[in-house]
Amino acid sequence: MMINDTILNIIITIIKIVVILSVAMLHVAFAVYFERKVIGHMQRRMGPMEVGPKGILQSFADVVKLFFKEDLVPASADKPLFYIAPIIGIAATMGSLSVVPFFNGFAIADIKVGLLFLFAMSSLGAYAVILAGWASNSKYSFLGGMRSSAQVISYEVSMGLSLVGVMIMAGSLNLNDIVAAQQNFSTKLYLIPQIIGFFVFVLSAMAETNRVPFDLPEAEQELVAGYFTEYSGMRFALFFLAEYIGMLVMSSVAVVCFLGGWGLPGFIYSMFNGSAIIISILEVLCFLIKLYACMFFYYWVRSTLPRYRYDQLMSLGWKILIPLSVFNILITGTIKMFVN
Amino acid sequence: MKKHLISHEPKVVSLVEKDYTFIDFLKTVFLWEIVSGLGLTLSALFKKPVTMQYPHEKKESKPGFRGLHALVRKPDTGEARCVGCGLCAAICPSKCITIYTSEDAGSDKVVDRYELDILRCVFCSFCVEACPYGAIVMTKHYEYADYSKEALFMTKEKLLKNWDNYVSEEDAKVYFKKFWAPREEDFESHEGQAVFRNNRQQ
Repeated sequence: MMINDTILNIIITIIKIVVILSVAMLHVAFAVYFERKVIGHMQRRMGPMEVGPKGILQSFADVVKLFFKEDLVPASADKPLFYIAPIIGIAATMGSLSVVPFFNGFAIADIKVGLLFLFAMSSLGAYAVILAGWASNSKYSFLGGMRSSAQVISYEVSMGLSLVGVMIMAGSLNLNDIVAAQQNFSTKLYLIPQIIGFFVFVLSAMAETNRVPFDLPEAEQELVAGYFTEYSGMRFALFFLAEYIGMLVMSSVAVVCFLGGWGLPGFIYSMFNGSAIIISILEVLCFLIKLYACMFFYYWVRSTLPRYRYDQLMSLGWKILIPLSVFNILITGTIKMFVN
Repeated sequence: MKKHLISHEPKVVSLVEKDYTFIDFLKTVFLWEIVSGLGLTLSALFKKPVTMQYPHEKKESKPGFRGLHALVRKPDTGEARCVGCGLCAAICPSKCITIYTSEDAGSDKVVDRYELDILRCVFCSFCVEACPYGAIVMTKHYEYADYSKEALFMTKEKLLKNWDNYVSEEDAKVYFKKFWAPREEDFESHEGQAVFRNNRQQ
């Protein structure tokens, strides 16, 4: 019977992977649409309006266009690296989706070092950027890749440190446990005690995913498109996909670690006591609303702020965010020591 | 003699007008400028967009708009009003009007060809102002982009057809009388000037 259980487990995991991947892909399509609409309306424009009602199918039209585009590879590019870079990028970001719990107990891999795994995967994403920049053999790509590597490495530190406070409070690295610990905590969210950590995390996540105001690796005015200047067609689409799934992952980490994850208010649990399906659906809805609020914040900031200068970016990361997060760890640790 | 008191020493102007108060400090810490910027963009999110969905909704041209050219038809005969005097061609800054005339059996001037290259036109409407007979006007029509140069090279027939297609009767009144003020109606020469155009007296 041991073998049967293993096979069943594998089948369930594969089904989960298929579901998560297809939902994530669809999510990217609508996240792009959502972004274009939000930024358009914030600039008193309309955003996409032509494809489908109110332009809702615009992303699918874009995907079809990218599919049929010629797959250009520069003659002087380092071909193997050029081919492998977008695959590393997409694999790293998709890999980090596997530990995110979308509702109680649901994660493809419910591992004990969930947060560490997330950090590892987002660091791996930097390889894609650097390799793409190097392999393209173009000055714009190269400069973009260099900038991105420096930026990602700097902000990796402050992002990791900002979550240490959450780890101390929850006493675990498993994302399910962190949400459960928030349920048992008096404020139900770690946002209120960990406000400094949240602030540092949000800024670092923006820098980590190369979003405005920290989008120096793809600064259009200086670097054409940064590290993926030479990419076109589906290879470009893979980078694009990786960027948006990266945003999804960072938003879900923010939701899980600071905004209470899938946790619902206590009276809802007692109201639907016993019917697990309704509670699961409500939990998913709760998670998605919080997730989209975070995504909306990304877009909101993008339509508001200009880009940082490179030295400002570095000094913000090293001189402000890292000391702040260390300070946060200090306070959290001290309070935790005295409370227990 | 009055001496001008001009100090050549640089005047020190403090860029910080008031002291850095505690409130300023709080504004810096809580990123007040960024927060107010975010508030501005959020308020713009709920305002009506200013976009006009062009092919679906079109803007009505304002009176006096300088669109595609047209040659005016005489209401009675249906012929062009143009007599081939060539003033429009003479005043045209981009030299895009060419007129070919000849004499008919009764020694009258006949306009054989009236050609206007839209691709060279600068839409100054000098031709309209120069015409003593109000024979050429500019219509409201502006959507005539085309793939061929031939379609944008106007002949006399095409220009007459433009008059039929794009100038309604009200348009004709507004454009023709109010804005382009044809000399045949408004032109008043002072006493004693030799009048070589006789049509006013007729």
